[in-house]
Amino acid sequence: MSTEVASVIRQLPQSRINAYADASGDHNPIHIDPVFAATTPFGGTIVHGMLVLALIGEMMRASFGEAWSTTGKLKARFKAPTRPGDTVTASASLSREKDGAAEYAVQCATQTGEVVIEGRATVVVSA
Amino acid sequence: MTAPARTSITAFPRGHEFSPATFTLSPDQVRAYLDAVGDTNDYGNTIPPLAAVALGLDALQSEIALPEGSLHTGQEIEHAAILCAGDALKLSGRIAQRSERQGYVISVIEFEIADIDGTSIRARTTIMAPAGGDA
Repeated sequence: MSTEVASVIRQLPQSRINAYADASGDHNPIHIDPVFAATTPFGGTIVHGMLVLALIGEMMRASFGEAWSTTGKLKARFKAPTRPGDTVTASASLSREKDGAAEYAVQCATQTGEVVIEGRATVVVSA
Repeated sequence: MTAPARTSITAFPRGHEFSPATFTLSPDQVRAYLDAVGDTNDYGNTIPPLAAVALGLDALQSEIALPEGSLHTGQEIEHAAILCAGDALKLSGRIAQRSERQGYVISVIEFEIADIDGTSIRARTTIMAPAGGDA
């Protein structure tokens, strides 16, 4: 199995945030209520961390198929808010391979290069 | 049966066990999740692991209230097996860690989502919430 991982790039407009709120049940007003969000330190709505993290899940699934769903591990830290309209790139860099498992440094970064999520993903690549 | 009252996450001590819950994710719910995040991978009838975690967190929130200003600051997930849409899933969770820092309560919720065979997804979610904030 190849250890190459192709990046995922996606714009996250408010419409997608609203759809995610409905699909996940997370209607925290910081994500969907511009009037409320304007009163917070963020000054406006922010994207659900789990919506941004989903790009990493998508990226790993696209590269490793069911192996990701059955053996994957992901540890991520939400470092900074993602704003509506940001274009986010999820990417992975192979850190090491050992005992049939590949470990990646993963991240999500906005169009300005700001890293909003960083972490580590591990998947078994050979039996 | 009466649903448990929602309590601010800041009020739960370390070690608190949430009431086990059973829920099902329908194929339509999984499709709505995939459409929302924009994931075009073919998952067949299975549940993407992060969808299980996101919707499991929603199930936990029948018991947990998040004060205004709460932030999800970290997420860990470990997949042991594939879960399928339509299957009955059992959710169990607890407060694995709790600390206070600079006016915030930092709680780590550890939970497991398992099907009838016991195959599961395990997750740890870190939430930072204002101490004393109204939920």
